[in-house]
Amino acid sequence: MTKPITKKPELLAPAGNLEKLKFAIHYGADAVYIGGTQFGLRSKAGNFSYEDMEEGIAFARKYGAKVYVAANIIAHNENLSGAKDFFKALYDIGIDAVIIADPALITACKEAAPNLEIHISTQASIVNWRTVDFWKKEGIPRVVLAREVSIKEMKEMKEKLDIELEAFIHGAMCISYSGRCVLSNHMTARDANRGGCAQSCRWKYDLFEDGIDGAVSVSEQADEAYTMSSQDLSMVEHMPDLLELGVDSLKIEGRMKSIHYVATVVNVYRKIIDTYFEDPENFTLNPAWVDEIWKAAQRSLTTAFYYQEPTEKDQLFGKPDRIPKYDFSGLVLDYDETTEIATIQQRNSFGVGDEIEFFGPNFYHFKQTIQAIWDENGEPIDRAKHAMMITKVKVDQPVRYYDMMRKQK
Amino acid sequence: MSNNYQPELIATARDFNEVIQLVEAGVDAITLGHQDYGLRVPGDFSIEEIEAATTYCHQHQKKVYVLANAIFHNDKLEYLPAYFESLAAIQIDAVICGDPSVFSLLEDLSLDIPVTWNPETLATNYQTLNYWHQKGISRAILSNELSIDAINEINKQVEFPIEVQVHGMTCIFQSKRKLVQNYYRHINVPYHEQQAKHIRQAKDDDTHYPIFEDVNGTHIMSNEDLCMIEHLPLLLMSQISGLRINGILKSTDYHVQVARLYREAIDTYLADPDQYELKKAGYKHQIYAIQPDDRILDTGFYFKEQIY
Repeated sequence: MTKPITKKPELLAPAGNLEKLKFAIHYGADAVYIGGTQFGLRSKAGNFSYEDMEEGIAFARKYGAKVYVAANIIAHNENLSGAKDFFKALYDIGIDAVIIADPALITACKEAAPNLEIHISTQASIVNWRTVDFWKKEGIPRVVLAREVSIKEMKEMKEKLDIELEAFIHGAMCISYSGRCVLSNHMTARDANRGGCAQSCRWKYDLFEDGIDGAVSVSEQADEAYTMSSQDLSMVEHMPDLLELGVDSLKIEGRMKSIHYVATVVNVYRKIIDTYFEDPENFTLNPAWVDEIWKAAQRSLTTAFYYQEPTEKDQLFGKPDRIPKYDFSGLVLDYDETTEIATIQQRNSFGVGDEIEFFGPNFYHFKQTIQAIWDENGEPIDRAKHAMMITKVKVDQPVRYYDMMRKQK
Repeated sequence: MSNNYQPELIATARDFNEVIQLVEAGVDAITLGHQDYGLRVPGDFSIEEIEAATTYCHQHQKKVYVLANAIFHNDKLEYLPAYFESLAAIQIDAVICGDPSVFSLLEDLSLDIPVTWNPETLATNYQTLNYWHQKGISRAILSNELSIDAINEINKQVEFPIEVQVHGMTCIFQSKRKLVQNYYRHINVPYHEQQAKHIRQAKDDDTHYPIFEDVNGTHIMSNEDLCMIEHLPLLLMSQISGLRINGILKSTDYHVQVARLYREAIDTYLADPDQYELKKAGYKHQIYAIQPDDRILDTGFYFKEQIY
């Protein structure tokens, strides 16, 4: 059977700060989402001032990439003042769209910046086609689906409605329906839906059975703590299912993640999407892409709700699974073709004799053993120990600015 | 205070017997439903049972509100038209919904059932509620994580009735996943759905969060039972329309007794606030007397600040 012809989707990446934005875009993201100083759910992510946003947009424009701002809190009365000024400012700066969950902020945005595109956040838990249609009729061009939506359900939505659908393909997930969890509020007095989530779903609990003679700890008897914690989402092995379906935007979670994480994950999905669209009929999964994903993984990986309801195999009980960890050792700033020496900014300690891997956009990779390092003054050194120190390293193959060097821990 | 202000005392019901007892205890309205359509119903009512309850309540000038506030996936949408048509035929007084799909659904069916908005955690400010009012809701149930000031501010800024919970457990987490069964399978211990369970924070021995599963997934309930019986003037003075008692995971005897006490407390205050002041400690003591040992009484977020 021939594959349905679909439009190449947008690859949407998280950008917790300006540096992450640049890496996400340089490594192939078509769009990034960021947080402003207000109305966002990641109060601890870097978050962008208006000046940062301007610089981020200027950078994105050079690549033809878009910048979205997440303003997806569930607002309380006192959070509403300033919303109109905020959206007007975003529009004036040139932000391409805002991601909103709370209708009060939708109303504010429509009034203050009628031409600023609005996407409905996953926090709104959109799981059926009528709700998608509701937002379409409200003039919304795109909805971010809840993580509980299956491939089959997404297909039904696509068949019934002409509206952009955005879906998560990779990253950590709320275990609850997003927005329908106030564990943090009740356990720590921190409002999860306004950026204060304490990740209580990942804590350890004792589960008790209540009886007439009192409660009995099942966890103690089984010597296994209770938790709601889930593995992380990854669709790396199943991308054709989403690409054939015509999902419009494929989203990577993780504004709090490192630039190494963002660059690695974006690089892989960029490669998969491009390879698929070069020749959909003959697309096959390259095991190297999966290997690469694991170099950035922080937890075991699952396809969550896409194919079936998650079971105990998709949860994280007991000790964390052993996943090989990689350090981001250095960032390539420059390369001299004649001497074959790279200028590298240290990000984690590395030294002569270390087995390291260089990688860059377009899934460029090579491994080598470090033969020689010089410090800024040209003096040979054994190890680059100091944070952010500038070094020269002899490299086996050409590298470029923005390429990265990683080392297995 | 306007003389004709009369708040509605609303209680959940698990079965027809509880409906009768609650009506006798003096509630003004009953909330009921079936887990196929509603969230955290204390017991399942079939359409026939809803009809019987509605007939009974209407004979006694009480109202019936049907919970249909589940997060509907596509497959559920196919069953909703028949359900809503049955509810309309029975002439229930309102459906309680929390998913925007309901608006086009009712319109397509040309049904004129009043909609009470209850998206649980998402009803936190007046502009949002005014937005949903424009879409067709006639009432809203506020989130439980709001302070008394926030509630009163919302009440002032909207022109339709709002309801708040004054007693019982509140839901603090809903997942579509079967997080209890998953655990039992993981530790290879037989799972019994009917067995009551709770979880406790590993680092806090005093905590007690009931946990259960139904067709809507896994639900975790609050550590405390909300109890506002000695603070009712704060709500009555600002003329909040609906005061709700949630009887989930409680015995009928307890639930009915609590409803009776709130009825008395409200009536006493409205007739004579000084009398209420004299009696309020007594109401609280009567609740303490029947309160299960493992359930703390608390005022939730009415007087608690949250950070973020």
